[in-house]
Amino acid sequence: MGKYIKYEIKGTYKVILGILAIVLIATTVLYNYTAKKEFSIIIALASMLIFGTFLSAFLYIVGSFRKELYEDRGYLTFTLPLTGNQILGAKLIVAFMWFFLLGSITVSYNIFMLAKTSGEMINFKELLSLINGSEIISFAIMILISGISTLILIYFSMALGRVTLKNKKIGGMWFIIFLVLSTIIAWIQMKIVTISPYYINLKDWSIVNSNISSLFQIEMGSSSLMFSTGEYSYVNILGFVTNIIAGIILFLGTGHIIENKIDL
Amino acid sequence: MGNLVEIKKLSKNYFNKKALDNLDLNIEEGKVLGILGPNGSGKTTLIKILTGLLRQSKGEVLIDGHNVGVYTKSIVSYLPDRNFLYNWMTIEDAFKFYIDFYSDFDLKRGEELLDFMKLGKDMKITSLSKGMTEKLNLTLVLSRKAKLYILDEPIAGVDPVARDQILDAIIKNYDSNSSMIITTHLVRDMENLFDDVAFLKDGGIILKGNAEKLREEKGKSIDEIYKEIFSK
Repeated sequence: MGKYIKYEIKGTYKVILGILAIVLIATTVLYNYTAKKEFSIIIALASMLIFGTFLSAFLYIVGSFRKELYEDRGYLTFTLPLTGNQILGAKLIVAFMWFFLLGSITVSYNIFMLAKTSGEMINFKELLSLINGSEIISFAIMILISGISTLILIYFSMALGRVTLKNKKIGGMWFIIFLVLSTIIAWIQMKIVTISPYYINLKDWSIVNSNISSLFQIEMGSSSLMFSTGEYSYVNILGFVTNIIAGIILFLGTGHIIENKIDL
Repeated sequence: MGNLVEIKKLSKNYFNKKALDNLDLNIEEGKVLGILGPNGSGKTTLIKILTGLLRQSKGEVLIDGHNVGVYTKSIVSYLPDRNFLYNWMTIEDAFKFYIDFYSDFDLKRGEELLDFMKLGKDMKITSLSKGMTEKLNLTLVLSRKAKLYILDEPIAGVDPVARDQILDAIIKNYDSNSSMIITTHLVRDMENLFDDVAFLKDGGIILKGNAEKLREEKGKSIDEIYKEIFSK
């Protein structure tokens, strides 16, 4: 699998670095040319840029999986002596790696530019002390895990779409499957969150019951997986576990389809 | 000699269409089998099932005693009828890729073949002509010391000079302990390669046997037998 990871990186790094280069240039321009304007506008534009970076990388990675299923390169990939899980696992690890790289570089660069253009060099140690490190990290991990589960769901939908409509290259079919499955999973998750209203506080790892805590009743009307009060961030324990279990089932399902069901 | 490949009652349906219909076929160790038939006779479908790119609707396929899967993929060297290498690769990358994934890849043989095909390692996959792509693919496939080689239409769509080079390469580099399956409808060019032949029509085998015996029995070349069968 390690070898396949290597070739997955070799095959995708140019586009990812291209996206990174574009976003870094755009960020530099943004901070330099709008320095005299309000910071709130810059922050809004910079956030949009970061979002755009993730979206383009996401679409590129999803598109390259689609190519395996619908284009001639699948003849090489699917005749390698690898299991479906190994191929899929390698692709997810590389996707995770790219998102992590893009995320950490764009966010750090934004902090750097913010410090530089705000006139006074902010002391980074001071800056870091203002932020609760562990909370940010756990929140980032949660987001990455959610992102990866979404990616697995997309891969599963694509593989399933390829199997159910043999030889008919209907492009949007996977998206319909994706929407249906997302709805089902979200519904199950919502039910579970309602049944088990226990949330974990990402700052101090304390567990709270949303039905008892008055804080929750003010902040959230219905049951959701994650939420933040500004001061604290909470994640529903069983809901998050469901998310992970769904991810594992979909991963194994996709691996099985790739290995045993796909007709190229 | 035992059978390296055993195919029993193999069927493949696409909706209502039968691509393969109750097909039985064995391939002996060390033999070259030509699967002959016009376009649409089921050749590529059969090959794809053997390589794990398609699943049978019914029947059994055993390669070296195993169902098609990771093990059989490691002992089968497959030449598809299309450019299957990744577009970002150079020939050098493609070589490294084969070395990494197939422990039976013989680099020395690969480099000799590349030289013979007049291809350079720094060439990009996307810059190759159809004939060059075919030569490169064949170089990679023949450089493996595989138990079974599967060549799907190896000379279709290449010019006569390249065709001769490709046939030469197959003859010179074929390992006599291995088995080989070659599908083609260009029978005249290839018939000297075959130990055995199987004629495929509408997803079923209508004639099979030792090539030399068939020539003797019918008093005709395999090419003539082919024309006789398929012109009906």
